[in-house]
Amino acid sequence: MKNIIEPFKIKSVEPIYFNTLEQRKEILNTAHYNLFLIKAKDVLIDLLTDSGTSAMSSHQWAGIMQGDESYAGSSSFFRFEKTIQQITGFPIVMPTHQGRASEKILFSIIGGKGKYILSNTLFDTTRANIEFTGAEGVDFICEEGKNPSIIAPFKGNIHIENLKDFIHEKGAENIPLCIITVTNNSGGGQPVSMKNIQDTSVICKKHQIPLFIDACRFAENAYFIKTREPGYETKSINDIAQEMFSYADGCTMSAKKDAFANIGGFLAMKDPVLALSCRNLLVITEGFPTYGGLAGRDLEAIAIGLNEVMDENYLHYRIKSIEYLANKLIAAGVPIMQPAGGHAVYLNAKEFLSHIPITEYPGQALATALYIEGGIRSVEIGSLMFGKYNKANELIPAQMELVRLAIPRRVYTQSHIDYVAEIIIELYQKRHLVIGLEITEEASMLRHFTAKLKPIKN
Amino acid sequence: MKNTTRSWAEPYKMKMVELLKMTTNAQRKKALKDAGYNTFLLKSEDVYIDLLTDSGTAAMSDRQWAGMMMGDEAYAGSRNYYHLEEVVKNVYGYKYLIPTHQGRGAENILSQIMIKKGDIIPGNMYFTTTRLHQELAGGKFEDIIIDEAHDPENEFPFKGNVDLNKLEKIIKKNGAKKIPYVSIATSVNMAGGQPISMQNLKELRKFTNKHHIKIIHDMTRVAENAYFIQQKENGYSNISVKNIVKEICSYTDGATMSAKKDALVNIGGFLTLNDWKLFEEARNLVVVYEGLHTYGGLAGRDMEAMAIGIGESVDDDHIRARVGQVIYLGEKMMAHHIPIVKPIGGHGIFVDAKKFLPHLSQDQYPAQALAAEIYLDSGVRTMERGIVSAGRKSNGENYNPKLELVRFTIPRRVYTQAHMDVIAESACRVFDKRSKITGLKMIYEPKYLRFFQARFEKLK
Repeated sequence: MKNIIEPFKIKSVEPIYFNTLEQRKEILNTAHYNLFLIKAKDVLIDLLTDSGTSAMSSHQWAGIMQGDESYAGSSSFFRFEKTIQQITGFPIVMPTHQGRASEKILFSIIGGKGKYILSNTLFDTTRANIEFTGAEGVDFICEEGKNPSIIAPFKGNIHIENLKDFIHEKGAENIPLCIITVTNNSGGGQPVSMKNIQDTSVICKKHQIPLFIDACRFAENAYFIKTREPGYETKSINDIAQEMFSYADGCTMSAKKDAFANIGGFLAMKDPVLALSCRNLLVITEGFPTYGGLAGRDLEAIAIGLNEVMDENYLHYRIKSIEYLANKLIAAGVPIMQPAGGHAVYLNAKEFLSHIPITEYPGQALATALYIEGGIRSVEIGSLMFGKYNKANELIPAQMELVRLAIPRRVYTQSHIDYVAEIIIELYQKRHLVIGLEITEEASMLRHFTAKLKPIKN
Repeated sequence: MKNTTRSWAEPYKMKMVELLKMTTNAQRKKALKDAGYNTFLLKSEDVYIDLLTDSGTAAMSDRQWAGMMMGDEAYAGSRNYYHLEEVVKNVYGYKYLIPTHQGRGAENILSQIMIKKGDIIPGNMYFTTTRLHQELAGGKFEDIIIDEAHDPENEFPFKGNVDLNKLEKIIKKNGAKKIPYVSIATSVNMAGGQPISMQNLKELRKFTNKHHIKIIHDMTRVAENAYFIQQKENGYSNISVKNIVKEICSYTDGATMSAKKDALVNIGGFLTLNDWKLFEEARNLVVVYEGLHTYGGLAGRDMEAMAIGIGESVDDDHIRARVGQVIYLGEKMMAHHIPIVKPIGGHGIFVDAKKFLPHLSQDQYPAQALAAEIYLDSGVRTMERGIVSAGRKSNGENYNPKLELVRFTIPRRVYTQAHMDVIAESACRVFDKRSKITGLKMIYEPKYLRFFQARFEKLK
């Protein structure tokens, strides 16, 4: 493969602080084997998330300086609104301080006990927000999406037949919403095809179930459609995005992903009645409708970022650079989710650490081992994040045990990525030395953020 | 001004400016109509001088902007969080910190962890978002501010004080167990930015200790309150604002902060608590609403700007110039006999709309009508703080507050003395033709916090 050239150069840098293996062991101990509890300065390469960690462009920074901080009617809001209307076609736009706040507002209104919210795969905070209202979130991922080693173009697709059956079984009146996550984060950053969005939309329309898109990574998904789905080769990303949104009734978005912003999100929709209830909640928990809990400057940065992300040169670089890391790992025999997703490489921990039983959290064991080996911070997406307990207090494991190496946008160079690959390959070669973990303390909801763990010594 | 006889001047100069747009009377007339006579619904580009709020509208210092460039945007464990934590401990003395995207985020979490259904939360006058979060959590707000606070003419220097007899009555009637905490605001916003005295706070602490009741501090304008203590309370004239702030905080058990006011930032807030167990509960909840507890829904850079802003906010020279500017504007209005809340508060001038427009009854929304009229005259945007802001009780009746005010809120470090002159001139002009001003009719009323989005029509 030819070297990937970034369609930008570096304008401002941030130093990385180096530490030793011994220091990292100590740090991890103090953080109770939870990478969320480690200080950022103790991390060499931070692949915890691609959320809010982007490098903004000089154009965005200029927008930051032009923020109109008026409490009401800020001009920055009107630029933000116009950009989102142009891309999504949704007339009503509400800014929020970040994506989970948009979800919180939406689900508080449409959720509730006895209701089901359907999706390809719900992400952790999304699921928590749904369950908080008493509703149940149900995933309908296609068969290919469940198997990390199958290579298929659209592993984020919804399983249309299962979705239909479920609607018939439970009744459309108990299903207030269907939400498609593009790309499918929990399922390995895998894209959803235009056809699948369209098919889902037809079913939803037939049963009068509103369809929303969780649009965090809409541009990455659009790029996969362009490069993998017949008929879209010559369309622009903006056109593809517009078509994706045209099948839906609204969207939630964390602008911390594909809008290159460090903070922010929005909720957009067609239905003015739903919007009225949403605005009522927005002012309580977020802020006045023209700032939604964001500084005016952040509205500017998001508006500019949304246009930058649809640049094909950027998306080409973005997707190719993820593939670059994935290919290095595949060549060394490291088990990863295939094909590579849009924003991250997912290690298959079940296979990587096949000697560690699921009850001893192989994903978390792998993530913490990567930190000790090379100061790399990743995140477990497996039974620590999604596991539940049955009545006998036994772990109900998640579908997959993955470790996500999320690549922040426009932050790390190819040499950083080479280093990451080396560390993973070295660890893979001595993987039998890695031991399992047990939880010593946990919260009842979103436990992975604050849980304390320790190694199981035999 | 007790300490000095010379006039104040800003302890800073301008480093960056934002251009303003002038509008014509015809443009304003149309903009006002489009906005349903609600100044909240005006576009900022149609506004000349924006006195809607002092919240999030401050000019940051060059040091804060430098801090913005030092943002550590790591999702977990950002170094800006640790810096902010240290500053909150040093400047305010509170132990455990949870950042939130703004003040109402902190109020939401506090209300959910501390208030049970049927609880009563006594406080020194309501504030819109604070009371709403208390009510949504199942609690009921009871006003325990001294009676003087409801009288705009009364010149008592500490109209933010608590009437301990009122509190005692509530405890006798309901029992201390029904009171999860007493909610104390410094610089009581709805009373006109009126301070609470240190003496009163000390007495309240003694009294609540006896009943094992916590005090939670709404500290958004604590530095301005501290300045009034320094100027007006015996024994404090030689103590720095910084030390007074720390003493105020020492009499309370935790605080909610909208850093968009005193702390000179455009976005951000926090919840801080001295009790570890409560803190743990709050930390579990913040992930659901705001973000992981080391960023709380804020960019790293905004936590850094906040940490630096907190330090700047307790500087004696800064506060003196800040309050000095507000007093300058107030005195100009008083010289023209415009009825304003006295004494002049720390963050704005509150015009008494009932007296200004005696020919309008409260259900004709005199303060709303006056705010609209001032905008029409000069493009100065102010805010209603009367019957519209007060909202409705759970039984659907209007709250009918005693105070019907228009707030001229002064953003920190943004406008000059010349801007103040323009504002005063406009207020005087409207005052001179006040008998011609007609009332309004509400044509759209949202369910919560109606003042934000309500729409009106002119009464014929």
